[in-house]
Amino acid sequence: MAIDHSGGSTVRIENVSKQYDSKQGTVQALGGIEFSVERGEFVCIVGPSGCGKTTLFRILAGLEPPTDGEVLLNGSTVTEPNADMGIVFQEYHLFPWQTVQENVAFGLEKADTPADEKRQRVQHLVDLVGLEGFEDSYPKALSGGMKQRVALARALAIDPSLLLMDEPFGAVDAQTREMLQDELIEIWQETGKTVLFVTHDVEEAVKLADRVVVMGKNPGSIREIVEIDVDRPRSRSDSEFGSYYERVRSLI
Amino acid sequence: MATDLQGERSQTSEASDLPALGVDIRRAALGLCGLAGFIGLWWVASLFQPEFVLPSPVTVATTFVAEAASGEMLTALWQSSLHWIPGTIIGTLLGIIAGIALGWSQLLDDITSPVVRTLRPVPPLALIGFAIAWFGINNAGAAFIIAIGAFWINFYASYGGVEGVSDDLLDVARSLGVKGDLELVRSVVIPAASPEIMTGIRTGIGRCWMLVVASEIFGVPGIGRRILRASNNLQVDVVISYILVLSLMFLLVDSAFRAAQRRVLVWR
Repeated sequence: MAIDHSGGSTVRIENVSKQYDSKQGTVQALGGIEFSVERGEFVCIVGPSGCGKTTLFRILAGLEPPTDGEVLLNGSTVTEPNADMGIVFQEYHLFPWQTVQENVAFGLEKADTPADEKRQRVQHLVDLVGLEGFEDSYPKALSGGMKQRVALARALAIDPSLLLMDEPFGAVDAQTREMLQDELIEIWQETGKTVLFVTHDVEEAVKLADRVVVMGKNPGSIREIVEIDVDRPRSRSDSEFGSYYERVRSLI
Repeated sequence: MATDLQGERSQTSEASDLPALGVDIRRAALGLCGLAGFIGLWWVASLFQPEFVLPSPVTVATTFVAEAASGEMLTALWQSSLHWIPGTIIGTLLGIIAGIALGWSQLLDDITSPVVRTLRPVPPLALIGFAIAWFGINNAGAAFIIAIGAFWINFYASYGGVEGVSDDLLDVARSLGVKGDLELVRSVVIPAASPEIMTGIRTGIGRCWMLVVASEIFGVPGIGRRILRASNNLQVDVVISYILVLSLMFLLVDSAFRAAQRRVLVWR
């Protein structure tokens, strides 16, 4: 079907640091971040607020340049957002003047996809995120969870090999969040994309990730990278889950 | 993927956002009372004044009908539209284009800012000399005055709208493969700023009807000219009749535009 199963991309973060100059002096937001992500891997970046994870996200997405170091996506340096990555923000940022369908199709308008294929692909994505019946709704009529589904479908439409997500489920209620997490895992397993997922929620990180990158403050840096070796689907009542949770928690 | 959307709160049935055609009866009744009261006061006041100071509503109504029946009114309206329409359209378009360009490009904004700030406070009426010198005493000259008025309103509305477009939406668009300024402006900036742009157009339309009178001050025929001539002859009933024509035209065009606006901005 329309979604390519060609798999994900590799990401290497090499000695990335970020400084902001202010009147009070220089603020070191990130210092010497270094790790890499394998093809098709699901990696969560977790840390307390103020640890620079959003800054790191923006650098990964090419929305902000690092002061030092570089981000390599499939071997080439990231300097701006590109079609190899699909970006999902916490606040959805849907185009309010477009319907669900049009939002999802946004990234396809530029591509030379034949109209017929485009339509099929959009429909497939809308179905994939469970929004059939809402194709012609405008964002204002959707709940937070539905908006985030549209944002996810829109990011998937350009078939990126990397999905970059910044606290995507931070603004929805607990029940919806859980549902969206399960759906994301299903989509990830189905498409084989590489996922980099920023969150402040330890439980969410342990539930989703193959590996959890734990960050600390002052300056934002990596405390430890924890591999989560629990079979999916994971249940938080599991004792294994619990011990990983405690472990990651203790690091923050 | 099995998804249960019922677990989520959605507010899909928002059709009530759009006021239906059936107007709120209570409001309409109150408005009618206000109007009747106004005309009543006017009538009472006119009893104590000579005709050339304040004619009674009845006199005005009679004159209005006579002017309409003689075809004078329609002629004046037609003559005014010959500069109102092109003036409004040209001024609006140029204002929107300039507003978007300067709102988007910091460079253009910096370059033009001193000139813009110098020209901005010049009232269109002060430019009548230029209108005559550049275009002559004709529709083009009058259209020029009207266009100036439309230009600034649309310029600032569009400029503000473009400045208010969220950077996040632009980031999203870039990440979805939109490259280059023109493409971003077309696919994100203009639609995102469209509510402000539309408000500008609407305000401009109203302002341009007011400018019709000013633009005909130097001799171009039309409603404004008719008002000015009647004023000189102390025909206050004629003056009021033509003011009513302006009001009616404004109401007509404004309602039509509002309906169009509502359609374009259904997503709001």
